[in-house]
Amino acid sequence: MHASETESRTQQIKQFALDAGGDVVGIANPRDWDEHVPEGHRPYDILPGAKSVVVVGSRGPTAGAWRSPNHRVMEVNGYDFRNDAAIHRVADMIESDFDHLAIQAPGLPTGGHLPPMSMMLSAVLAGLGTRSLAANIILNPKYGLLYYSACITTLEFDYDGMLEQDVCPHHMCVESYRRFGKTPCMAACPSDNGGCLDGAIDDDGRIEYSYYDRERCVSRAMNFGINSFQKSLAQIVAEEDSERQSTMIHSDFFSRSCSAITNYKESVAQCFECMRVCPIGRTERKLQ
Amino acid sequence: MTAQNKIDFATAKSELAAIAGKSGALVSGVASAGAFDDAPEGYRPADILPHAKSVLVVGGAQPRAGDWQSPNYQHMEVTTTSDRMQTLALKMARFIEDRFSYYAVAVPAGVDRGQQPFMSISMAADLAGCGSKSLAGPVLHPEFGFMYYGAIITTMPLPADKPLDPPACPAPECVRMYEAEGTTPCLNTCPAKAGGCLDGRIEDGRFTERQYDATRCATRVQNYWVPGFQKVLGATLQEPDAEKQKMMLFSSMFSRTLWSMTYSNVAQGQCAECMRVCPVGYEYRTKN
Repeated sequence: MHASETESRTQQIKQFALDAGGDVVGIANPRDWDEHVPEGHRPYDILPGAKSVVVVGSRGPTAGAWRSPNHRVMEVNGYDFRNDAAIHRVADMIESDFDHLAIQAPGLPTGGHLPPMSMMLSAVLAGLGTRSLAANIILNPKYGLLYYSACITTLEFDYDGMLEQDVCPHHMCVESYRRFGKTPCMAACPSDNGGCLDGAIDDDGRIEYSYYDRERCVSRAMNFGINSFQKSLAQIVAEEDSERQSTMIHSDFFSRSCSAITNYKESVAQCFECMRVCPIGRTERKLQ
Repeated sequence: MTAQNKIDFATAKSELAAIAGKSGALVSGVASAGAFDDAPEGYRPADILPHAKSVLVVGGAQPRAGDWQSPNYQHMEVTTTSDRMQTLALKMARFIEDRFSYYAVAVPAGVDRGQQPFMSISMAADLAGCGSKSLAGPVLHPEFGFMYYGAIITTMPLPADKPLDPPACPAPECVRMYEAEGTTPCLNTCPAKAGGCLDGRIEDGRFTERQYDATRCATRVQNYWVPGFQKVLGATLQEPDAEKQKMMLFSSMFSRTLWSMTYSNVAQGQCAECMRVCPVGYEYRTKN
């Protein structure tokens, strides 16, 4: 009886999450974090008594946005926070209908670049995707790139468990690696030629190792936003010529950096080239 | 997903209008993507989405009657709801792709390089018959007056609407006032010849000339937000007295510019006086 109740409410919350704007939903056991993260970064460190983590993934850019020759369109409109909106509704529903505690898991950086809780790990543990050669982005087998949010709750649901099969590398990428020594993502941004990515695929067609130069990636994926604002401001403050300083303050670059801070959608990512060439989820982006 | 060869595009357009209406839009309309000849190259629909056929426009989320009645002008500066139409545009783009399998991309709101918009959403609203250009600047709907708009470019060949005829501006009351006094309510409240932003001429009931000093208007409409921040930052950095510089950094002006940037509701507009006196949509700005 207890098992069927858990199964029933699991189905109910999953359908609710999808209706609220999620494209995929999965549920993880908070204890699964133990072997992956240090103390302080586990779900039950953030919500004592946590029994489940509901994870929602939503697509970012539309298929039309992927086709735009104006790369700035996707930089500004790539992300619409649907996963955040959906996860808040999920948390509301758990508290109001099931009378259990529920919070949005904190996924933004609070110390350095580290968030209190990793949404990437949450997605993996909830069975929604696996790490890829492309900047460690978690790829969903159907959609590829997704944005994730999570809800930590004291209510117990049925857990999904991790995917049994790696999403990356795609069999086309394995073939490409064996022929050319690179996958499409590594070829698009090779670390040995000024890019961010490198890696190897073993004889079983699995990732043997992956290399991702995050600092270099940040300098490209976030041309405008907090990073460019800080960089510009340091240069502005250090400028001794007041005329030149004024010009720098009112420059197009600084204006756009300020604008990117005000419109947070814009500051998430401004380079999608490793994902553009990824075969996973490509059929979902192919329309008329 | 609907098979494309079975789509009745007139029915699809009605369905899109119903979804938009249910999601908060007061008006919607369609412009042909080929109708943007007056826009410069690089700023037309097909420059953002190759093979674009239509531009779906949604409008609404204007200030409520109560907002207009508040004696505290700062109230409207910090509670505008223009983001709602951009959010709806993102939702509609996703709906078009998922439901009809045509490419769709929401036109990013705001400005980009050189403070230019990606595509003129005002022009799209005008061409889609959702409103018409006004002497005061904003596109006005004949019934609701001032509102915010969002636009979605799609490869879906939706039946196009036509620009309004007669246009919403000038209203009959304004034509009579112009004939009697040589001015209209909006021109009178912000006259270019007396330090304001607006001027124009009406002939045969239509405005034939219009002058809008966008630069001057920006200094009033955007007292805070990015332009205000740049101005106060420049003044602060160039202040030689360390004590005075510290006071400027912690001043109300500096604090408000930061509030307006981080909480971008303040960003949209901080002067609405030309709209306050506009007779178009007046009944929706008044209640008991």
